[in-house]
Amino acid sequence: MSGSITADGQYTTQQGTPWYKNKKLDQLICFWSVPFFYSLFGLVFVPLSWMMPPRSPASAMPQIVEFMQSPKLLIACTILTLAVGLSAVGNAVYMCQMKRMSVSPVFRFAFMAGAMTGAIVGCLFPMFCFGLGAFRSGYDPEILAMLYDFGYLSFIGCMGCFFLNWSCLGLSILLDTNNTLPKWLGYYTLWQSVSELVIAPVWIAKSGPFAWDGLMSFWLAMVIYVPWQMIVYICVYRAIKSQPESELDNAHLMPAANYA
Amino acid sequence: MNTRGQNILLWTTPVAGVLFLFAYFMFPPFSGPMSPTMTPEQVAAFFRENVASIRGVVIFCNLIGAMLVPLFATITVQMLRVGNSSPVFAYSYIIAVGIGMTAFILADFAWGVAIFRPDRDPQLISLLNDMAWFFFVAPVGTIIVQNLCLAGSIYLDARPDPVFPRWVAHFNVLTAVLMVPGAFALMHKTGPLAWDGSLSFSLRLITFAVYVAVMFCVLLTIVNRQVEHEGVVA
Repeated sequence: MSGSITADGQYTTQQGTPWYKNKKLDQLICFWSVPFFYSLFGLVFVPLSWMMPPRSPASAMPQIVEFMQSPKLLIACTILTLAVGLSAVGNAVYMCQMKRMSVSPVFRFAFMAGAMTGAIVGCLFPMFCFGLGAFRSGYDPEILAMLYDFGYLSFIGCMGCFFLNWSCLGLSILLDTNNTLPKWLGYYTLWQSVSELVIAPVWIAKSGPFAWDGLMSFWLAMVIYVPWQMIVYICVYRAIKSQPESELDNAHLMPAANYA
Repeated sequence: MNTRGQNILLWTTPVAGVLFLFAYFMFPPFSGPMSPTMTPEQVAAFFRENVASIRGVVIFCNLIGAMLVPLFATITVQMLRVGNSSPVFAYSYIIAVGIGMTAFILADFAWGVAIFRPDRDPQLISLLNDMAWFFFVAPVGTIIVQNLCLAGSIYLDARPDPVFPRWVAHFNVLTAVLMVPGAFALMHKTGPLAWDGSLSFSLRLITFAVYVAVMFCVLLTIVNRQVEHEGVVA
C-alpha cells in the first residue's frame, strides 16, 4: 500500500494541510490502493503468466501442456495470492459511495456479497487452475486440458457477479437523490452490466468470435469495460473530493471551526 | 441495544481454539505436514493409510473455519464505531473475511473429496491435494489486507477516546508482515518456504493462532468497555 500513499502525497487539502492530515485519508488510502491492485493484476495476468490475451480454446494438446507447465505461472499465483485481498478494498470504496446515496442498504450489501464471491470464482480460482498445472510436472495432459478450460472459463465466463455488482451500482446512482455520482454514470454503468452478458457464449463456442478468445466475447467486452472502469474510478475520486467535511462520519469528532 | 450478541458470538472463538488444538494433536496431516515433493503415488498411499484421521481433519476444519467468522464480524462491528471519515476499512475488512473464508473452505473440500474415495486415480488425488494446499495458502493475502485495514482504521481514529488501543494497530501490522512468507509456498517445493517449511507452515500457523488468541482478548475488553461508555446493557 506504500505506493498508494506516495501517489497521494501530491494532494493537499484546501486549507493547505499536509496529505497525512487529510480528514478523508482513510478513503484516499483505499482509493489509491486500486491502481496499485490493478497494476499487480495486469502484471500477473499479462507478462508473468501470459494468460492474457487469452489463448485459444482450440489449442492443440502440446501447446496446452507447454503453457500449463510454464514456471512463471507460479510467480503469478504468488503475487495474486498476496494481492487478492486488495480487491476487497477497491469494492469497499464503491460501497462507501453507495452508502452516501439515498437508497436502501440492500444495494450495497448485494454488491458486497458479489464482491466476495467474484474475487474467488473470477480471479483467484482461475489463476490457481493454471498454477496447479505448473506446480507439479507429470500430470496427464487430459488433466492439464481440464484445468486450462476451467481456468479460462471461470476467468472470462464469470459474468454473474459482475452483472450483479454493476447493476446494483448503476441502479443506486439512478435512484439516488443526493447526486453523489452523476446520473449519466448510472446509465453508463447499467449499460456496462448488460454488456457483461455478451460473454455468455464462451460457455458454448470453442472457436470464432464468441469463443473465450473471440472478437465479441473478449475483445469487445474489454473495449467496453476498460474505459468504463476508468471513468467510474475518476467519478468516484471526484465524489470523495467533493464530499463536504461536515458530512463525514467523524465530523462530530472534529472541532467545528475546521469545516466552517 | 446491548452487547449480549457480540459476547455470545465472541465466545465461539475459544471453542474454535479447542477444536483446533484437538485436530492438531490428534491428526498426523496437521502435525507433520505432507511434503510437496511427494509423487502422486506417494500422496495417494498417504491418503489411503490415514483415511480416518484426514476425514477428521476435514470435518473439524470445516467447523473451525466457520467458527472464526464471528470474531472477525465482531471486529467489523467495532471498526464501524471507530472515528473514521467513512466505513471503508470496515467494509474492506468484512469482504476480505468472506474471500479468505471461501478459500479456506475450498481447501477443506478439496481434501474432503480426495479422501472420500482414496482409491481414486493417484493423479486425481494428488491434484486435489495440491489444490487444497493452494487454497490453504490463499487466505494469507486476505488476512494481510484485513490486518492492514484494521491498523489503518486505528491509526486514523479521530475519537478522543479511541475504540481500539494503539498497540493493537502495531500488532496487526506485525502479524501481517509475518504472514507474507506463507504466500511463497506456491513457488517452492523445498526449504523453509515450501508449504511444509518453517516459514510457510509453522510460522504462519503459530502467528495466526497467537493473533486469534490476542484479538479475542482485545475484543472482550473492547466490547465490555462499550458497555461502560455507551451505557448499553451487557
